[in-house]
Amino acid sequence: MASKVVKEKKRLGFLGTFFKWFYLIFFLCITLLPLIWLFITSFKTNLEFETASAFSLPKVWQFGNYVKAISMSGLPRLFLNSIIVAVFATALNLIVSAMGAFAIAREKFKLNNLLLSVIMSGVLIPIIALMVPYFRLIKNLFLIDNLGGLILVYSAINLPISVYLIHGFMSTIPKELEEAAVIDGCTFSQRFTKVIFPLSQAGLATAGVLMFIYCWNEFTYAMLLTNSERARTLQLGIRYFKSQFVVDYTSMLAAIVITMIPTILVYVFMHDQIIGGMTNGAVKG
Amino acid sequence: MKKNFLVALLAIMLAVPSFVFANGQSESAGDKEIEIRFSTIWVGADTKAAPVKELVDEFNTANAGKIKVIIEENPDADAYRSKINTMLGSGSAPDVFSFNPDQTSFMFYDSDVLMDFTDELKGDWASNFVDGAIESATINGKTKSLPFEMGYTPIWYNMDILEEAGVSEIPQTFDEFWDACEKIKAAGYVPTSQMTGGTNAWTSMLWYCHILNAIGGPNVWEKDFATDPVFVEAAEILNRMYQDGNTTVDAIGGDAGVSGGHFLAGQTAMFINGPWYIGRVESEAPEVFAATQIGPGPGDKYSNGQVGFPQSNLVAANTSDPAKKEAVLSFLKWMTTPENAAKISQASGAMLAVKTPGVTGNRVQTQFNEAVNNASFLQTHFQFNFATDVMAEFGQALAKMASGKATAEEFVAQIASKIR
Repeated sequence: MASKVVKEKKRLGFLGTFFKWFYLIFFLCITLLPLIWLFITSFKTNLEFETASAFSLPKVWQFGNYVKAISMSGLPRLFLNSIIVAVFATALNLIVSAMGAFAIAREKFKLNNLLLSVIMSGVLIPIIALMVPYFRLIKNLFLIDNLGGLILVYSAINLPISVYLIHGFMSTIPKELEEAAVIDGCTFSQRFTKVIFPLSQAGLATAGVLMFIYCWNEFTYAMLLTNSERARTLQLGIRYFKSQFVVDYTSMLAAIVITMIPTILVYVFMHDQIIGGMTNGAVKG
Repeated sequence: MKKNFLVALLAIMLAVPSFVFANGQSESAGDKEIEIRFSTIWVGADTKAAPVKELVDEFNTANAGKIKVIIEENPDADAYRSKINTMLGSGSAPDVFSFNPDQTSFMFYDSDVLMDFTDELKGDWASNFVDGAIESATINGKTKSLPFEMGYTPIWYNMDILEEAGVSEIPQTFDEFWDACEKIKAAGYVPTSQMTGGTNAWTSMLWYCHILNAIGGPNVWEKDFATDPVFVEAAEILNRMYQDGNTTVDAIGGDAGVSGGHFLAGQTAMFINGPWYIGRVESEAPEVFAATQIGPGPGDKYSNGQVGFPQSNLVAANTSDPAKKEAVLSFLKWMTTPENAAKISQASGAMLAVKTPGVTGNRVQTQFNEAVNNASFLQTHFQFNFATDVMAEFGQALAKMASGKATAEEFVAQIASKIR
């Protein structure tokens, strides 16, 4: 009888392990296959891209696609612009979001929940609907074709999601820590700068990484608010291979591979903070 | 203290990149050099990029110290269209730019944001343009854009495939066309390239226009789309092109890369695109290029009609500064002289609405010209006649019909529901 139970447990254990690995490998394939396709195709000719099977290797590896990707679209300058915009917009967004989230999460007043709901409703507005007002605003600020304009817009667009994430994290910090700080003489702003802000690092990292990835990949507003290479970002460089009627797909894919590297690196080095921050924020009621 | 520090930090974050990477918000003034910003999609991989830049450089050299034209590069045509519409909707526009002359763009004729060329075109300037071109850009007596690039989209036939299938002549009627399709399939090839994807289902939209030419005649767009049976009849023929192996299995959802790719690979026998595609076929598929013959679509009540339409118009922002207006007109006149237009046409293969004397082309380009010149009539395409949202509906409705989820009547009704 006992051996039967042990056997059954073993069988269930094996099935559990099998399904666990099947599930993981299935999603690994779903995630990796497009990236593998992208990498292989970036070395093909356009004719091979359009006619050969998706995962077939190129007859001759076209390293020239990468040379063209870098030289034709001015990628180095656009790379620098993307880094500046992403870093400054992320920093600006985090500072403003953290202050907003602090007030909503730690200060009790009548409109806490309403204020959070109003800010969160910004997530529901399609960014295309905001194109005309943002264009007018940035134009009136004389920030068209200027990195400052992009930084301002990106910071603002992502405020709702950043406030939500950081608010969720700040809400988990015990009230007693703040009360102790008040007894020790901390002012309102010191409670933020010396207690809550440092303790919210994981939430800030999560919001920061999501913000950075958004800034890195954003195209619509980069196209709308800039006119020249001096203020343009990488995503516009990728489009240099797409003319009105003809697309140089393989050079474009080579450019995409190059532009993906920083976001992959950010995720590789910070995935603990991203996952940790998201789950911490998620379980808080 | 801390508060002040945070405020200062925020200000610095915004100000540093703004100042360090500012390139100046330029304004023309007084005796200074007048700066004209020319916003265009003719950049990057576009075949007109090099000759247009060359002409701009020549203009700048000739007007050094007085006028300077700066090209603002916009590499993505769809995003550029969205950008221009947003700018126009905001009441502003680049100094000089190009737009697709469709019903959405023409709506901005009612605003004051565009420069009016009507009076200027009453002089010699108008003689630079081909017959009827200025009229195509004139609405309610106002010409607020200059016709520049024309699109002509005859049928491309791969004669190697047709001959291997035992079809020696281009099909002249739909009976001959379906007969040719059967023979092509029997020979192991696919008759037509089609696509429902992209923003406008380009290849299939053009097939639909050729069918409408054949059964509806030269004034088909004057008919009521929702009620006239000719549109349903054409939809039935287009639907048949999607059935029974008459096109590739990836046509539903496929984009221009799919429809063009099959033709480039020598897998499909009949395809539609404009002259801008010639260079690509010549460089990437020389065997297909050698076998290509350009011609009309099959005829029915009407025959030998072609699809031709204004592709890009040059436009300028309205300005109250007479010096700036003079500078803009000077540049536009430079770009539309027959000699300069010929340079663009010769280098890119583009067919322009400006006269282009002395332009020579390769065999397929010559056939393009012959097809257009010999056409019994030219008619604009679907996209020219309807707004952007109606165009977007075309691909959606076509995918439904081609996959058997809608009839031809429902296809027409779905599109008609978007027409205001």
